[in-house]
Amino acid sequence: MTATVEQAFPDAGSDGGGRLSGLRTSTRARSTSSRVALGAFVLVLAYLVLVPLFKLQQLAVADDFRGYRVAFGDGRIWETVRTTVYLAVGSLAIAMVLGTGLAFAASRLPVRWRGLRSLPVLPIVVPGIASVTGWIFLLSPRPGYLNAALRNLPWWNHLEQGPVDVYSLPWIILITGFGLTSFVYLFVSSGLSGISSEHVEAAEVAGSSSIGVFFRVILPLLRPALVYGAGIALLLGLGQFAPPLLLGTNTGISVLTTDMYAATSQSPVDYGAAAAIGSPLLVFGLLVVIGQKAFLGDQARFVTHGGKGFQARRRSSPLSVLAIVLYCLVATVLPITGLLLVALSPFWSGTLDPGTFSLDSFRTVFGQSDIVTAILTSLTASLLAVLIVVPIGFVCASVLLRGQRFRILRQVLDYLVAVPLGIPAVVFGAGFLLTYSAPPFILYGTKSVIVLVYVTIMLPFATRMLLTGMTALGSSYIEASRVSGAGLLGTNLRILAPLLRSTAAGAVALIFVLLAQEFGASLLVRSSTTQVMGTVLFDYYTNGAYPTVAAVALIMTAVTAAGVVVALVLGGRNALDKL
Amino acid sequence: MSHIRVTGLGKTFPGKPPVTVVKDLDLEVEQGEFLVLLGPSGCGKTTTLRCLAGLESPTEGSITFANRTVFDAARRVDVPPNKRNIGMVFQSYALWPHMTVRRNIGYPLKVRGRKQELSEGWVEKTAALVDCGALLDRYPGQLSGGQQQRVALARGLVARPDLVLFDEPLSNLDARLRDSVRAELHELHRRLRYTAVFVTHDQSEALALGDRLAIMNAGRIEQYDTPQRVFEQPRTEYVAAFIGMANRLPVERGHEGWTCAGAPLVGLPGDGTIDGDRGALRLRSDDLLVLRPNEPAPAGATVLRGSVADAEYGGRHMDVVVVVAGQRLHARVPCGGSDGWARQLVANDAVQVAFMTSDARFYEGSGTAPAVGADPVTPQPVQA
Repeated sequence: MTATVEQAFPDAGSDGGGRLSGLRTSTRARSTSSRVALGAFVLVLAYLVLVPLFKLQQLAVADDFRGYRVAFGDGRIWETVRTTVYLAVGSLAIAMVLGTGLAFAASRLPVRWRGLRSLPVLPIVVPGIASVTGWIFLLSPRPGYLNAALRNLPWWNHLEQGPVDVYSLPWIILITGFGLTSFVYLFVSSGLSGISSEHVEAAEVAGSSSIGVFFRVILPLLRPALVYGAGIALLLGLGQFAPPLLLGTNTGISVLTTDMYAATSQSPVDYGAAAAIGSPLLVFGLLVVIGQKAFLGDQARFVTHGGKGFQARRRSSPLSVLAIVLYCLVATVLPITGLLLVALSPFWSGTLDPGTFSLDSFRTVFGQSDIVTAILTSLTASLLAVLIVVPIGFVCASVLLRGQRFRILRQVLDYLVAVPLGIPAVVFGAGFLLTYSAPPFILYGTKSVIVLVYVTIMLPFATRMLLTGMTALGSSYIEASRVSGAGLLGTNLRILAPLLRSTAAGAVALIFVLLAQEFGASLLVRSSTTQVMGTVLFDYYTNGAYPTVAAVALIMTAVTAAGVVVALVLGGRNALDKL
Repeated sequence: MSHIRVTGLGKTFPGKPPVTVVKDLDLEVEQGEFLVLLGPSGCGKTTTLRCLAGLESPTEGSITFANRTVFDAARRVDVPPNKRNIGMVFQSYALWPHMTVRRNIGYPLKVRGRKQELSEGWVEKTAALVDCGALLDRYPGQLSGGQQQRVALARGLVARPDLVLFDEPLSNLDARLRDSVRAELHELHRRLRYTAVFVTHDQSEALALGDRLAIMNAGRIEQYDTPQRVFEQPRTEYVAAFIGMANRLPVERGHEGWTCAGAPLVGLPGDGTIDGDRGALRLRSDDLLVLRPNEPAPAGATVLRGSVADAEYGGRHMDVVVVVAGQRLHARVPCGGSDGWARQLVANDAVQVAFMTSDARFYEGSGTAPAVGADPVTPQPVQA
């Protein structure tokens, strides 16, 4: 406290409040205009999310439920439903065991191996369709490289083909399970990091053995994370598309998503039947989303300020390194190796001749204008969609977190942005195909429809990532700005945006990664002239141009890898955890 | 006409069931006055503050700042916080980590478009005022807790707002720093005479800083008075308990006048000046004398017999818990010299406790409406 008071405040103490005295703002005017703006925003999102789903049902029930009668008339659909459930439950079981085990392994990594923690997430960022083709190249009964190698073993050297048949249901389940493991791993890891080592130490000091600690303390505390992770993995398992499509179609193994695609792509094309086939997935997905919202309730209740849980100091184990490296080798390195071998070879057969290795297939790829166009379309559509969906996610997250005064609109928005999470991309793709092939918006065959469907399916991710970032920030920075005299817009621009920069950048990169490898929705809304990487890969696969397929798959992988690196650089080391 | 006027303020949070945090609250703050809202956690003091800031929308009542209505539930007026011309100091400081100290302090001027003040060096002058002149180009992450607190204060004051709000700003500081920042805050207010509302649960902070105190309980104001009157004449038993009169002695009127724990109570009028037959006395721990079993009590004191439950050494004093007829009383006894007998007190020692009724406050059965007050005496320092 120095003597500068009088200089700083020459008329300190006199009434300084006159300057704004005339100003009066009515709640009614203020909240009406923002309510109208928010209402319009919610309406646009509702159109994006709900109209395609509505159109599907409309078509399925048209002509006295013709779609349903065709789809469910003969008993074959129940076989498909059964297979879908087997696939979902089987892959869920695998994913829960592996994912939880890996999360524990990751929490017990020795300090200098901590970097391995991100490895189990890799299968998410390797494009699904690429890794499935990789597995085909390795485990196809006759020409698969691994099968050929296994047939050299003395007890299998009498075999003509196999021993593994990747085109069978158990292997479809296993490969799907490997992919889902990453999701369970993410949820359980974040759950584990929320358990402070003090809880564990308190139990140990109280006389619990380490097994007792696991069952009495850690597992009960993890239950929310496990339930949530299992729910997401189950939804994803039910909506699986690329593995059953590529692995099961030739052997007659079909699930709801592949049946649905078949009804829209094979003659006689029957969109009504396709819509009806998708209904079980739609209903189940909506039930899960509604149940979860009702169960978890208001997001704002989960806002916790301050107090960062400190890193648990559990005893490290070298076995954990082995487990993680092994999983990474099997789930990521193996299929990519398969892709590499085929991409370098002139053709795909069970034998390898390094002498014939060349980069010809990559030259082919870059010589084919349709492939190059598809790659460019993928990149531009993904980028555009990201630039649209992240700001939307920002608005959604702000309203969900601080829009308590918009009681109903906020509730509607909460459900709206969660719906795409519950509904398989293929179903959305079909809905978009129907909605945008007819007035008022005829967009079929344009890039716009791809961008729109991308924006829609990424709404939950964008909102969730920004919500996490905002929640961690707490409310006091924003309140401090408001009482300092800044309006809502100014606060968002000067305070929130800079503080959320890394979160938002991480979200941009991660959503880009997910979109660049998108396959299910793209396959339904693409046209012969508007393709993306995944769909063009699928076409070449159907035509049997395997080295080209492998090269495209590798390019897809490289693009997403680049996206991940950007995400890590911009969003920080833990960017992947925000998924 | 008072500067800040709050009328009939109420705030109910929706939920199952709805929670009413503030009920029918009236408040007037004069220009340049430093008002302290004091109460335990959950009494609604922070909600009241946030309603003043506009961060919370009250469900009832009205708020005016210098004749300008900023909130009126009936007329649906709710001026957003950025249009209220206020400053606020947060418990967590809430300094924006991506801005330097200079930009943090300058923010209220900048967003209000007050370029002239910026160019006149108000930021630097205000920083110098809180001894942060040397820190202007640092980031908040590079500052200590006390420095962050000063920067937050500078940010709250720089635009010379109509009203400065403090939300328990000292509670994150350690005890020694808290005392010095408190002293600086007091001096700064004496010089600048800004209007302030300060929320705290710490009675020593409230007594030191406030021109007036509002003691809150369950969303209402129990007493709204100067620190001296709150301390010396707590209007309700709740206020008395909160302000340090921790000892409660039930008293009742018998045939031979008032008694307390079976002993005759000296000094309380036995005639009709008090209506009821029951009540309670409230006493500070340092107004309770502890005497040896045979020691004569001072004239006019009420004497009770009891035994020691525990005695703690506190440096210059002993904190003694005496059980009298099932009541636990806390007494703060000077240690005296190195041979002072109080030092030797141990559990189960028989003792007498004595007090002057004039030091105590009497509350009738309901716990309100004191009929007899303590004599006005010079303010005593309060132990935190």
